Order: sequence, then structure tokens, then C-alpha cells
Amino acid sequence: MKNEEDDFYVGYLDNTSTKTKKTTRLFVVFSLLGLIAIASIFALTQNTFKNSTFELTTSTKITGVYHEMPYPMLKVKTAENTYKNILLLGFGKSSANPFLEKIRSKTPKLSGSILSIEGNLIYYNGKTLLQITNDEKISLVEKTNPNRLPKVEQVANNMEFKGEVIDPKCYFGVMKPGKGKIHRSCAALCIAGGIPPVLATNDENNISEYYLITDKKGNPIHKDILPYIGKPSLINGKVVRVEDWYQLQIDVNSIQDLNQPSKIY
Amino acid sequence: MGVNYQTVLWNRNKKIYDKWIILGMLIYLLCFIGITLITNPETSIETLIIRAFGTLAIALLHVILVIGPLVRLNSRFSPLLYNRRHLGVSMFLAALIHGGFSIFQFHSLGNVNPIYALFTSNMDYGSLTNFPFQVLGFFALIILFIMASTSHDFWLKNLSPKLWKRLHMMVYLAYTLVILHVFLGALQQQPSLWSISMLSLGFIIIAGLHIRTSLIESKTDKTKTEDIVDGWEYVCDIDEIPEDRAKIFIVNNERIAVFKYDNKLSAISNVCKHQGGPLGEGKVIDGCVTCPWHGYQYLPHNGQSPPPFTEKIATYNLKTENNKIYVHPEAMAEGTEVNPVII
Ligand code: HEM
Ligand code: FES
Repeated sequence: MKNEEDDFYVGYLDNTSTKTKKTTRLFVVFSLLGLIAIASIFALTQNTFKNSTFELTTSTKITGVYHEMPYPMLKVKTAENTYKNILLLGFGKSSANPFLEKIRSKTPKLSGSILSIEGNLIYYNGKTLLQITNDEKISLVEKTNPNRLPKVEQVANNMEFKGEVIDPKCYFGVMKPGKGKIHRSCAALCIAGGIPPVLATNDENNISEYYLITDKKGNPIHKDILPYIGKPSLINGKVVRVEDWYQLQIDVNSIQDLNQPSKIY
Repeated sequence: MGVNYQTVLWNRNKKIYDKWIILGMLIYLLCFIGITLITNPETSIETLIIRAFGTLAIALLHVILVIGPLVRLNSRFSPLLYNRRHLGVSMFLAALIHGGFSIFQFHSLGNVNPIYALFTSNMDYGSLTNFPFQVLGFFALIILFIMASTSHDFWLKNLSPKLWKRLHMMVYLAYTLVILHVFLGALQQQPSLWSISMLSLGFIIIAGLHIRTSLIESKTDKTKTEDIVDGWEYVCDIDEIPEDRAKIFIVNNERIAVFKYDNKLSAISNVCKHQGGPLGEGKVIDGCVTCPWHGYQYLPHNGQSPPPFTEKIATYNLKTENNKIYVHPEAMAEGTEVNPVII
């Protein structure tokens, strides 16, 4: 046993030897330097975040034509003869439908009517969404008129895409990153809660396009697509355009999991 | 030592220790948050919090895990052990903020209970690329919670030191789970040679230090005496033991410590009643054997803590012959008075 000049530390006594003090100080300095290095490496190796926005604390009132394709949307005029279709969502991981129940019960034919809705905007890459948190903040401006509904165009009968199924609420702004493995469980909950599944694709030039996914008849899909969320997949189906949004009508069972880690961020 | 329990028995060294813990955590958070805001300003506040505290927790976990073996290798690191439990609790709090925010962000506000959602929203348990890594973090957090909430001496006493020790050995399981949590989660989405090398280096350092200490300790555990006379085992010569110190031996498969002080020799169990600290690496201070870990004290001639404390450990009979020390390997009942051998 080495017996250094009486080098014995007792925490509740103030008799620490200089050598022990020195060793301790050295350890503390090394640990602090280590912490700085670890913080820097973790901070600097994060992927770049997108400039998507979620206006959590500001509410905006928008007025437009309500329609379903098949997910609730509001067609808003942005300039003369230009329209934008804003995807409506509920609070948290919920679709807009529970918040629309009240107005639906008062207005039998809601599609085609003009609604004014106050909520929080979410936007990125040309797409805009609106989170509704209170069904009192939806009001009817004008009764239904089918002529106001957006036109639906056929684009392709069968097209194949490589991409990732995302939940648009998080992807377009609420979360960063709102896709990929880290976000997968959250996306699954969002889509199970009624938020429309969206296919995000990315071409060689890094141009992204987005497709609202429905079943072959154009009806909403939620639960059936859960196993395919947040992973690179091959998807094919019929493509339809509704003004500034595409719709992809698919048979869920034909989705092919590419078994790759999620790449697009 | 335990007669009654206060929330924390404060003293100057513990306060200094805690100040450095807080300072270290603040420096870490400022660094992580500052660098992220400068180099990657589009981050969101939730992600910033989740990542800052998650990475802080794993960094602190590494610091905690190197202290143990360092102290075993060199007693000059002892001050770091003294209040390590506060470091442990701080690490748990950082992990809790990380896990709590993650659960709120990723698993709440849905149509099912968040904990249920954590386990079921990704069911690819059979796949490595898609494995639900959050589940691993969740179990690690539960372990850290159990450890943090039983870290006080009240629990140590009430759970029995043996069970407590076993419980706290689960930190290695927690470490394994956290490493897997990071490798199967964040590192899959943002793999980087830097962070992978850093975590691997951390693992090598921790494993290396532990292997070294266990090699050294298993060596002392293997030295057995051949020299047995009428049931008395020769252990060493009187002048091999420094004044007020001890040497550790194995008799009857138990570690014992033979102390030399005031021209006397006494043998007691080597295992401290507090957390099993090595009393034989302690020192006789004011007539009491003082544990090197947290300073519990025992009288060398009867293995009892001085009043008002009540801890008791086993004592052993000794005799000397021509400068040689012999131990009778049978342990006396804990707290049994044994006359010291006068030298
Ligand atoms: C309920 C428990 C936990 C949950 C739900 C959870 C969830 C998560 C999530 C979602 C991420 C990815 C975050 C992102 O990169 O945006 C992550 C990463 C991470 N987690 Fe956890 N975690 C838990 C417990 C823990 C614990 C106990 C530790 C360490 C002691 C830990 C350490 C880390 C680290 C170091 C990362 C990688 C860096 C980062 O991206 O934050 N986690 N965790
Ligand atoms: S182990 Fe804590 S004082 Fe001995």
C-alpha cells in the first residue's frame, strides 16, 4: 500500500492534501473541456433544419371556399384568379373533422360554402396549412354553391414514386425534423388521429413535390398506411390534380418498403 | 452515518461539488444551444431542449461512470466520489427533461395514452433500421429514476446495502440502453463520423478503466496464504502495514482489513456498512477507522461505529509471532469486542 504523506480525503473534514486537491482540479478541468467538446460535436453534427414555420402564438383569420378532397380544405383567393388550397387540421394530433362537427350540424351541405376560420398557420415550400383549435372560431359566411368547388384534373393513371409518407402537420412546420426515423412515431399518431397522409418526393435536383394520399376511390386513408410511415418506399397510383395540390390514389397493399434509412430531411 | 435522516447533510465540500455540477451543466447547455443557434438557426425551441438535455445526460453519464474506477486506481480521485450521487441525480434530471419533452412532443396529444403510444406507434421491433428506439430510452429513464429516487441514505438503509448496491449496478444496463437508444435513433437519421467516434471512444474509456480495476482487484483476491498453523493464517509482517493504515486480505472468502495504530493491531471486515466501501483503504482518524468513500467510522477493536451511530461490522482475532501477523479466519459476530494485539 502506498502511503502518500497522509493523503487521505474525508469529505466532511477540511484537511484535503494538496496532491488530492490537484488531482481533483485536474479532473474537473478535463471534464469541463470534455463537456465543451461533446456539446460542440453534438451541436455541429445536426442536420440542417428547414425554414418551415408554425405560428403557434399568432392566430390568423382566413376566409375561403370549404371543400374536401377528401380531406378538409379551404380554397383561398390570393390574387386575381389565383387560389391557394389550405389544408385544415385540428389541435394536436387530430384532424379538422371534430372541430367542423358543429358547423356541419348547422349547415347540411358544407362543401362549396364560404367559411371564415381563425387558427394558426403552418407553411413551408409553397404549401400552407391551418390548425383549428376552437370550433367557435369557424363561421359561415355564405351558403353552399357547387360552382365554387375547385376543378379536378386527371394527371396520370398509373405513376410510380419513390418517397416517404409523412404527416403534413409536423412536416410543414410544427416539428423539426418532421420526418424520418426520429419523427416516425409522432407521424403515425398524427395520421392515426385523422391528419391526412402525404407522400413527399425528392428528385435529383432536390425539388420536392407533395401528394395527398387517398384510397383507390379517393376516400381518406389513415390506419391502413401506418406501417409505411417515415420510411423510404415505392408507391404507385393514380394522380389527380386539384389546383395547387396533387392527390395520389393508391392501393395501400402495393406500397413497397425500400428498407433504407430515411434520407430526405 | 445514520441515526436519523436529513434531506442532505450539507457541508462545505458538498456545496463546492454541487457548484461545479451546476457550472458544468450550464457551460454544456450554453455551448450546445449557442452553437446550434449560430450554425443552424432554423431549429425549433422544443428540438433544441430535447437535444441539449439528451446529449447533456449522456455526457454526464460518462463522467459518472469514469469516477468509480478512477478512485479504485488512485485514491487521490476520492473527492469526486464523495458526492457523486448529486451528479447522478443531476444527470437523471437532464434525462427527465429530455424524455419528458420527447414524450410530450412525439407521443402526446394523440388519441391514445402517450406511454401506450410510445410502445405502439412504431411496431417494427424486429428491425434494426426501424426499431422504436424511444422504448430503449424509456427503460433507461425508468432505471435512472429508480436510482435517483433511492439515492438517499434513507433508502440505502431501508433497502439493505446489498439490494441497494444491486439496484445501483443497473446503471450499466441504463448506459447500454442509452447507447443503443442513440445508435438506433438519432444517429441513424443524422449519422456522423464525429459523433459515432465520440461515443465509441467514450465506451472504450469506460470499459477500459473498468477492466483495469477489475484485473487489479482480482489479483489481490487471488493471493491466498499457504502458511496455516493450527487454524491461524499468516497474512503479513508487522512492518508491512503503515501506521494508521491497513492491508487487505482474503480469509474464508471474505475481505478483511488489518489495521495498525497506536502500537496496536486489529482486524475487521473490509466492507463498509454504508455502500460497501473498502475500509482497508481507509485510515484511522481520531482512533476510528474511517471509510475512504464517505467517511463512515468504526472503532477498530469492536467494529462498532462510535455513538450515537449504530453500524456494526465483523471483527477477527489476531496474534503475532516474531513480527508475523496471523489471523483466525472465523469472523466474530458483528460488533464483537476483540482485544487488539499490542506490538
Ligand atoms: C422516455 C424516455 C426517452 C424518450 C421518449 C427519448 C426520445 C428521444 C428522441 C425522440 C430522440 C431524437 C430527438 C431528436 O434528435 O430530435 C432522442 C435522442 C437522444 N436521446 Fe433520448 N429519449 C428518452 C430517454 C433518454 C435518456 C434516459 C437518455 C440519456 C441518459 C437519452 C439520450 C438521448 C441522446 C443522447 C439522444 C441523441 C441526441 C438527440 O438527438 O437528442 N434519451 N431521444
Ligand atoms: S461506503 Fe460510504 S462511507 Fe463507507
